[in-house]
Order: sequence, then C-alpha cells, then structure tokens
Amino acid sequence: MTALQGLFRTFAGKHGAGTASFIGIAVLFWMIFLIVLPQLAMLDYSFRFNLPVSETGGPNDVYTLDNYAYFFQGNDDTVNTLDMGILVRTLIAAVFVTLIDILLCYPIAFILAHSATGVAARLMVIGLIVPFWVNEILRAFAFRVLFGATGLINGVGLSTGLWDQPIDFIRADVALYSGLTYAYILLMVFPIFNAVEALDRNQIEAARDMGASWWRVHWRVVLPVAKPGIASGATMVFMLTAGALAAPQILGGPSSLWFTQLIYQWFNESANWQRGSAYAVILLIVCISFVMMMMRVFKVSIGEIGR
Amino acid sequence: MNRGTGGGFVAAGFSLLFFAFLFGPLIIMVITAFNSSSFPRITPWECFTTDWFGVLFGDNRLMGGLLNSLVIAVGVVAIAVPIGLAGALALSELGPKLRATLYTVLITPILIPGVVLGISTIVFWGALGRSVGAGYGSFFFNGMFLTLAGQVTFISAYAMLVFMARLQRFDPLLTEAALDLGATPGQAFRKILLPFLGPAIGSAAFLTFLASFENYNTTVFTILSDSTFTTALASKVRLGTDPSLSALAVIIIGITLIGAIVHEAHARRQEALRTGTAPRSRVYGNPVLKTLVHPLTVFILLAGAAGLAAYLGSQHDASACKAGILEEKRARQQQLLDEQRKRIEEQRKQAAPTAPSAAPGKASPSPFGGAFNPGSLAPNAAPAPAAEPPKSNSPFGGAFNPGELKPE
Repeated sequence: MTALQGLFRTFAGKHGAGTASFIGIAVLFWMIFLIVLPQLAMLDYSFRFNLPVSETGGPNDVYTLDNYAYFFQGNDDTVNTLDMGILVRTLIAAVFVTLIDILLCYPIAFILAHSATGVAARLMVIGLIVPFWVNEILRAFAFRVLFGATGLINGVGLSTGLWDQPIDFIRADVALYSGLTYAYILLMVFPIFNAVEALDRNQIEAARDMGASWWRVHWRVVLPVAKPGIASGATMVFMLTAGALAAPQILGGPSSLWFTQLIYQWFNESANWQRGSAYAVILLIVCISFVMMMMRVFKVSIGEIGR
Repeated sequence: MNRGTGGGFVAAGFSLLFFAFLFGPLIIMVITAFNSSSFPRITPWECFTTDWFGVLFGDNRLMGGLLNSLVIAVGVVAIAVPIGLAGALALSELGPKLRATLYTVLITPILIPGVVLGISTIVFWGALGRSVGAGYGSFFFNGMFLTLAGQVTFISAYAMLVFMARLQRFDPLLTEAALDLGATPGQAFRKILLPFLGPAIGSAAFLTFLASFENYNTTVFTILSDSTFTTALASKVRLGTDPSLSALAVIIIGITLIGAIVHEAHARRQEALRTGTAPRSRVYGNPVLKTLVHPLTVFILLAGAAGLAAYLGSQHDASACKAGILEEKRARQQQLLDEQRKRIEEQRKQAAPTAPSAAPGKASPSPFGGAFNPGSLAPNAAPAPAAEPPKSNSPFGGAFNPGELKPE
C-alpha cells in the first residue's frame, strides 16, 4: 500500500494529481478486472461440475478434477488419444507454420531494411500492410476460393493436364497451412525488420571485405542482430496460430480438428462451459510453457516481445 | 554493390514471389465477385455481373452485424486508447524491476489466445453477475457489453505499444522546462506531453478500431446470441459460400486502397513541406500539380472514380448472358437426364423394380419428378453437390444445383 502511495506521489508530482489518479485507476482496472480476475475465474470454473443453474452454489457445487481427467482418460478410463492427439497436432502444425513464416519473412525484412530504397521501400511497406486490412474471415475465404475442388489451382491443374482428378487441398490441410502462414506474415516481418534495421551497414561491408561469403555474413553478422526480432515474431505467430479459430473453421478438413475448435464445441455444441474452460486452461498452459521453453533454448527474455 | 548481402536479382525475384503470394489470393477473390457462377470461381467464366453486390446488401444478418460491430468498435476505441495511454505512462515512470513485471502482465493479453480471453471474460462477468444477484437481462449477460470487455483487454495493449514507441522519443527536459517556468504538473501534462502524443493518439485510435472490427476469436464467444459483422461473416462462410463475399472483399479492398493512397499523398506532402524542398520540387512547385496531389483532391478523385464505377456497375445488366448460360445448362441437364434414364432402365432390368423416390425435386423441370434427383438415386455419387460445392467431386458439376435452375 505504501509503495502504491509513493508511486502515486511520484506521478502526481510529475503530471498532476488528476492525471496520476487517471493512470492509477485505468491501469489497476485493466490489470485486475480485465486481465487477472477473468483468468482466475476461468481457472476456478474449470474445476467445477457442469450443474444446472438451480444447483449452482448449492451443496453439489464442489471442486473436481473431472474436467481435466476427461482430457487424459475420456469417459471410460482409457487414454483419450483423440483429444490429446488434436492438441499435439495443433502444436506441431503451429510450429511448422511459424518456421515457414520465419523463412519467408527474414529475407523480406532484410531486403526492406537494407536493400530497398525510396519508392520501392514505401511501396513494399504499403504492400505488406494493405492485405492485413482485409478481414481475417475474407482472407481465409480467399484461400478457399483458391484451393477448392473447383478452385483456381484445380482448374489450372486439370486444364493443363498436370493431374486428372481434382485434388482435395482442403482435406489434405494444404489450404489451412497456407491460410495460416498468410494470416500472420505481417506480425513476423515487422519485428524482424525493427531488429535488422538497427544493424550498421558497415558491419556487413567489413565482413564482406574480410572475405566472408553471403551466407556467412547472414549467419554471423545479421542473424545475431535479428534474433530478438525473430523471437518476438515467432512467439506472436506461434501463439496466434495455435489459438486460431477462424481459419481452421473455414479451411480445416472435415476429419481434422484444431484444438480451439474442440473448445468451441464444448461451449457451443455441448453446452459444457466447465469442460470448455478446462480445455482452454490446458491450451493456455501448454502454449505458454512451450514458448517459455523455446525462449530459454534461444536465450531471449520476454521483455523483448512486442517491441 | 548489394551482391552478397541479399540485393540484386535474387532479392528482386524473391520479393516479387512474396508479394504475389500476398496479393494473389486477394486478386483472385476480387475477380470472382464479377462472375455469375453461384460458386466463387474464375474457371469456367460465365458472365460478367454485378448482381452479387445486390445479394450482399440484401443480407440482413450481415448488415445488422455491421451496426453492432461499429458500435462496439467505437466503444473499444473510447476505452482502450485511454487505458493504453495510462499503461504506457505508468511504464515510463517505473523503476526497471517493477517496470519489467508490469510490462509482462500488461503484454500477456496479446499473447493469450483470443479464444481463452473470450471464455475467461464470459465466465468472470457471469460469476460476478450471479454473485451480486443480477438477472439474465442485466449487462453482465449482455453480448455487446461482454464483447466490449473482452476486446478492451487485449486491444488496450496494442494502443499501449503505440504510445510506448512515441514516448521513447519524448524529451523529458521539455516538461522540466515547463515546470521551471511555473506551470503546474497538470498544465505541463496537458500543454506539453498530450500534444506531443497527438499523432500517436490518432494512430492508436485507428489501430484499435480496426482490431476491434476484425476480431473473431474473442468475439465469437463473448457476443453470445447476438452477432457482429465478423461472426455473421464467418457463419456465412462456414454454411456455404457464394460470391457475395467476394463482392464484400471488393468493397473492403477498394476502401483500403483509397485510404492507403490518400495517406501516402498526405505523408509525401508533409515531408516536402517539412524539409522545405516544396517550392523547389517539380511537383509541389507547380500550382496545378500541387493542387492535384493534395490529399483532399486525391481523395475526391478516387472517391468519385469509385462512385462512378459503382453507378456503372449498377446499370450493368447480365440477364441476357445469364439466360444463355441457363439455356446451355438446361440442355446439358437434359442430356444428363437422358443418360441417367437409360442407365436406370438398365438397372431396372437387372434388379427388382424399386419405388420412385417420394420427394419430388421442386426445381427439376423434367417430367420425371424427383425420380432423377441425383441424391436419391445415385447413392455412390457425392451427396448433394449443391450444398457443399467446394468438396464436390460429382461428375454432374453444378448442373443439379437448384439455385442455378431457378428462373430469374
């Protein structure tokens, strides 16, 4: 409490009492009512039984591990391979999409920062931003138009005789992975760009003068500078891909689910919010632990995210 | 000179491919908006039509959702921008250790999956509402309020990042100078810091508006039984698609391009004015060209062109061409029906006669009733080609789609 009062006094001294109370109230409201308490409420909820409204708060409303046990065991005490498989598949796919995005975006960020000049650079920035003003759903829809059984790619492939039966790109998840890769490109390009832009061109020139080959220049000079940007972009792309709902709903094959779709089903189709909350908690914990692990492996701190 | 560091032809080629990937799907989607085929596609091309725009504006759920979305987006801007500003100011004044902790807490909503945010929001406000004894009609169970709360949680963090970037360039000596000259801290804040943050307020408002309008993952949970533009759009896409969505994309991309070009004209003009090269430059020194590249002129010209295109499009009549296509399809359907009849007669000769299907197809103009409905007679053909066109492998193409047979 005294620490808070001290903080308040510092702010009041600098910006005035009105501003200080505005800052204090807004930040506390945001932190407590929008971030911390809802997450705790969800955690609490995930440990409860799915009771009818009349029994909520009654004697039967006790804590249980049932919802989590279901994720591991299913209804009949066998291993719930279906749900766990979906989670693992979602994570692997998200890692895969993140890696593709790094491979696509690193060169573009470098070109944007160090090769493109004047009009070309401005056009590139506009060209990067404009597709992301188009609604997420419409972007997924565009990939459905492209990859559908009567879509353009099948049309071209069939008419040029590359293949003679329409290829089901939707079922093969090609459409889904392309759509997800596309969806978060911007979030990968700009962090890498910000990091690489800080690199002094003379360092590259010096390395070249010493006789380093182009890949060695990138590996030893550019990549170390780009690393925080790559980590930041990769974290965001991974989290957003693993938590994506629209693209899997629109582009996902009929036989493969995304983990978020499973959560969605518990909420909207089975009306079991408690189990849905438990699954949401599982997704959150698994994703965050995975990101933390990766950050430790690559020696990046969370403070560098979002810059 | 760039050789060896990523310049040159390889870089140019890669960039071209990259932007082809970025724009290709959008361009194809835009083209499908003008094809009269009832599934969005380029091949086969049927007729140039603008009817899908009419279909789009006739969609009541989408238009109702648009209103909800705009209301929510305005609310989110009004709440998230001040909260983001407060967060950025708080972070700028804290000591390094506390700052890192607070930063981690405030940035997590960006990293938490939107689905999780949506769930935690409805669970928390629902529990709060029950604990104070509020009824289901109260705002605790109102989709609009919950969406507002859920979106503000993470969109404030976007706004905060914008303000933090701007604050980094602020010179604190300015505030100190104002205080030395006798301004109260409040005055210094209002007269020095807030005006400095002005442009950031603008871009934060824009960013938050867009983020709110586009959001799906959180909104689909928090909106409950209502719908916003994005959730209505998503359920439309999931239930089956027609090119009216492409028409929507045309409108959105058009607005985006106009916005981007006007913004670019504005940025260039500002730069020329600031650097003082305006009077000497070829464009800004010439009075005619100067007016021509003024952002307002650019906007009026582009908006005029878009309006003209819309007017011309609304005058376009594709019915003659469509009738031709319909005739072609009828002929083809008749041919397919004949073939199928032959096949079925052969089958009848082999097997015991089966009763004709009870449900006559309403759209079928043939004298055979529903007996030749592919769904009822050909169990091994792909079911219902009309309902699921993207997955259709049916050899009949769209010929049995009742929508295509309906007389206009």
